[in-house]
Amino acid sequence: MGDADEPNFVGRAASLICGAHVRFSLQVDGEHIVSQAKFKAAGCNVLVASSSLLTERVVNIPTADAAVIGQDATALRTNFIGLEAEREHCSQLACDALMAAIREYSDAARGEWVGDEALICTCFFVSEHTIEREIATRALRTVAEVTRACNAGGGCGSCHQLIQEILDTQDDLPR
Amino acid sequence: MIYLDNNATTRVAPEVFDAMQPYLSKFFGNPSSAHTLGREMKQAVETAREQVASLLGAADTNEIVFTSCGSESDNWAIRGVLATQPAKRHIITTQVEHEAVRNVCGLLEKDGYDVTWLGVSETGELDLDALRAALRPETALVSIMLANNETGVLFPIDEIGRIVREHSEAVFHVDGVQAVGKIPIDLKNTEVDLFALSGHKLHAPQGVGALYVRNNLSLAPFIVGGAQEQRRRAGTLAVPNIVALGAACELAERDDCHKQVETLRDKLEDGILEQIPNACLNGTQDRAKRLPNTANISFEHVEGQNILLLLDQAGICVSTGSACHSTTHESSATLKAMNVPYTAAQGSIRFSLGRYNTDAEIETTLRVLPEIIEKLSAMSPYVL
Repeated sequence: MGDADEPNFVGRAASLICGAHVRFSLQVDGEHIVSQAKFKAAGCNVLVASSSLLTERVVNIPTADAAVIGQDATALRTNFIGLEAEREHCSQLACDALMAAIREYSDAARGEWVGDEALICTCFFVSEHTIEREIATRALRTVAEVTRACNAGGGCGSCHQLIQEILDTQDDLPR
Repeated sequence: MIYLDNNATTRVAPEVFDAMQPYLSKFFGNPSSAHTLGREMKQAVETAREQVASLLGAADTNEIVFTSCGSESDNWAIRGVLATQPAKRHIITTQVEHEAVRNVCGLLEKDGYDVTWLGVSETGELDLDALRAALRPETALVSIMLANNETGVLFPIDEIGRIVREHSEAVFHVDGVQAVGKIPIDLKNTEVDLFALSGHKLHAPQGVGALYVRNNLSLAPFIVGGAQEQRRRAGTLAVPNIVALGAACELAERDDCHKQVETLRDKLEDGILEQIPNACLNGTQDRAKRLPNTANISFEHVEGQNILLLLDQAGICVSTGSACHSTTHESSATLKAMNVPYTAAQGSIRFSLGRYNTDAEIETTLRVLPEIIEKLSAMSPYVL
């Protein structure tokens, strides 16, 4: 609970259903490992408990693994025995804020990347060149197909738009 | 455990327990039976009726009818009045009634009744001019509570009764559930026609209530069947519970504890408001216009539900005005009607004291609460 030390990456989520609001902040080290995870929440006990559990689980693991945990609000909710399925939106809100914080990190990491090839998926470290090659050789048409083929886009999802743009460019080329 | 939730329910008083116990063992007869055992049961019920009538200041013992709970009393009062005068289709009530009145009036509105929902000020008080203006020849019923269950704000039923009598022929029903046992009541000197009460709010067990029905008032039965309660309310009388309600009323009248409870409430309320910067009182500052046992306090930017859980972990029982249901996160209708801002309404806590609270318990609460609020304030994304 609280804020991760600076420099940190912040993600927020709010619910139009119930008015709850949650903020995650992550600190990530040079090896893409989450070194600190903290939250602040204005909402119900399920939101607070979900956020608290998430911050415990994602610390000391790579951001890609943290993103996989954040993708599954249903799995998170099942920690709370006897909780109605309708309360999943409370767990979902915590997951949304975590994912937003990871995307914030990924976007920053992508921008700072210095290498021969442009980096697209920072979670699974997939370059633009690899994605172009996969699209060309396997005749991929959607972001989901790209993710299945080479993992790109399978983590925080911050690169989905970039993958779509690559797909759009490839479409324009003669095959 | 420190129990500060006496508006939700109260513990059964030892005196009440002792009084009802024989009726759960050797006195098991049906008060409608003609044999000796039955007559003894009947006698016990009539003693209880006298005890309830005495606490309420009823002119006549027969004005008391036993029911299963406060909600039954309220439902019966409202529907019973309307059934006797089907041509009148207008009801006046308030936006801050307990659900037992509010939701019944809401259903009646859907059924085509014209309902006037009187609002309240930011301090939770009624505008009596608005009531005066709302009264019409076709007004069948005015239903207004005596004490608000959440804030403890009292409505002046003496004055309201006079206004209703002067300006209309409407029947005046009062939901008195939250007030009985907490303040003196003297119905014979008011214009109240119907008055609902519930046993478990004054140290009787859950499952018993009563409705005061002014003599000569025409009221259609709600539960139909046998001839019990002079054909007004069918169903075998719940003698142990009724005896308990009588004993609870007797206790409340003999040893009311109002002053003692009020002193502790004042200490708690003053202590919280002094110590905690983001705390503010909901309801009028004028303590004479509030129940002596209730303090409803908002802690801005903090979630009431989370305060409740942490107090619970510290062994302190309270209620919150905000309830997170599965799909909505609604603050209470009462606080909404008072225009309490959303961020404060979500952090409202109701402290309601009773005759068994001690000074040491209030001291403990005042020690524990500031730390909890500080911890939760640090959790809020709205607080820097």
